[in-house]
Amino acid sequence: MSDKHRDVIDEAPPFLGKWSNVYRFVIIYLAAVITLFYFFTAAYRP
Amino acid sequence: MRPLDWVVLVGWLIFLISYGLYRGRGSNSTDQFLLAGKTMPWYAMGLSIMATQASATTFISTTAQAYVDGMRFVQFYFGLPLAMVILSATAVPIFHRANVYTAYEYLEKRFDVKTRLLVTIIFLISRGLGAGISLSAPAIVLSVVLGWPYQVTLMLMGGFVAIYTTMGGIKAVTWADVQQMTVILFALILSFITAITLLPHDVSFMEAVKLAGAAGRLNAVTTTFDWNDRYNIWTGLIGGMFLALAYFGTDQSQVQRYLTGKSIGQSRLGLLFNAMAKVPMQFFILFIGAMVFVVFLFQKPPVLFNPVQMEKIQQSAEFPALQQRYDAAFQNRQEAARAVLADDPRAGVNFRTAQKQLDDTRAEAQKLAGGNDTNYIFLSFVTNFLPIGIVGLVVGVIFTAAMSAISGEINSLATVSVIDVYKRYMTKDGSDAHYLAASRITTVFWAIYAMVFASFATNFGALIELVNYVGSLFYGGMLGVFVLAFFVKRCTSNAAFIGVIAGEIAILITAQFTGAYLWFNVIGCVVVVAVGYGLSLGNKSAPVGVSS
Repeated sequence: MSDKHRDVIDEAPPFLGKWSNVYRFVIIYLAAVITLFYFFTAAYRP
Repeated sequence: MRPLDWVVLVGWLIFLISYGLYRGRGSNSTDQFLLAGKTMPWYAMGLSIMATQASATTFISTTAQAYVDGMRFVQFYFGLPLAMVILSATAVPIFHRANVYTAYEYLEKRFDVKTRLLVTIIFLISRGLGAGISLSAPAIVLSVVLGWPYQVTLMLMGGFVAIYTTMGGIKAVTWADVQQMTVILFALILSFITAITLLPHDVSFMEAVKLAGAAGRLNAVTTTFDWNDRYNIWTGLIGGMFLALAYFGTDQSQVQRYLTGKSIGQSRLGLLFNAMAKVPMQFFILFIGAMVFVVFLFQKPPVLFNPVQMEKIQQSAEFPALQQRYDAAFQNRQEAARAVLADDPRAGVNFRTAQKQLDDTRAEAQKLAGGNDTNYIFLSFVTNFLPIGIVGLVVGVIFTAAMSAISGEINSLATVSVIDVYKRYMTKDGSDAHYLAASRITTVFWAIYAMVFASFATNFGALIELVNYVGSLFYGGMLGVFVLAFFVKRCTSNAAFIGVIAGEIAILITAQFTGAYLWFNVIGCVVVVAVGYGLSLGNKSAPVGVSS
């Protein structure tokens, strides 16, 4: 079994420049999705 | 199922297993077998993670949740994107840099061997139980639908999994999952289109949505906090986040997926892809369940969806009266639904009253049959209404979806058994070929274990809830110890060890008071961290081993 050390590559994301920007984007996206679902629920509440 | 359906079903099974074996070729070292040689691109990891999660439950149980309880189950996934972000920023780079095969290997580097062993044992017990349930529940449902004996269905599913997982390792599992996920999406879209086309000619899509809303089936977001309510926005965001953190951050079946990534960035992208796709996908699946509910407002469903249970109650003396009440309740509900569409002001109340009458009659029938038929609702829709050929494809996808979840679990159980137990305690200086053989043997062992466990465990309710409940009994403790490892620099090994035990005790006590299992993850994690941190207060030295 190989226990040799691997070279770990930590590259920049393919978009938005920095990983922290990508994380912010995902959180904003989640907030938007939940807001959308909230209005959907309100529109069809019995 | 008609002949063409059988052809499609068998063809799909052969294709998927062959494809997995083809892509898994070259797994002739432990590094290849367990980590795919760290060559996986982000999309393969992302789709594989989604396929493992989707499992057979996506079709069997999630759609049925919307049918009986509405869409509020979607809130369960609200915390998942937050967890993916946290793990991408923490666990992914830490595990990659630690150069480990398993998450538990890291715990020995950070703490000590007993903490690694304790968490390894917790994983083997919880995931072992999970593998049995993952195999058993869909096997029961499929055996009824296909008319096969349960043991035969079980052996076929377990046998196929054992073959391609043992031969192709994680590469076979991951690439088979990629195909699997693609076809799952295709089958879901087809099911949705079929549901819409089955609506009566005078009921439009928007009117169907209105009816689902009037019946309370479009309750996607509940903002009211209730400790005993399993699904609301708070349990979803907080409890769901902790569950996802624990599942993706500490469960080897998931950690192993992103450890196969070519780089830290590829692993992060795989998780973030899951973060963005999962919630809308679950919403869509639940929406299909709500549309199936509307279809059954106009197409009379059987009293019970499980054909075996239905046959059983038909022979009872109570059945004729029960059927009569059911027919009357169905008629009332359909008339009330028409009144809702005609904008009758009192129609909403009448509609819900009629729905309750129907539900009560079904509950009576379920009591008579001695079991819940929730897991058969969607399959009843599929087998009765989908076009010929597509039925075979959907049933085949459910078959392989179950196999996909189990293969990932078995592969991770084998990895932990070899790396954290066999190599650590039994044979420390074996050759690579020796550990590869051990990995294959333990894969077969866990496949047989899952089949044996499943053959005895046949009485489960809603599958998806059971799997998550069992996981939640253990995940909080496991998450807590990794939080201590990553973030509490001064935490000692003894403090972490005692913390895990305290966390598990806290979870078991909480389980006596509430069934809202998402909170178990929060409570378990908080107790582990509090105890571990408290016991380490006097320690000012930096940790030994790998740091974050």
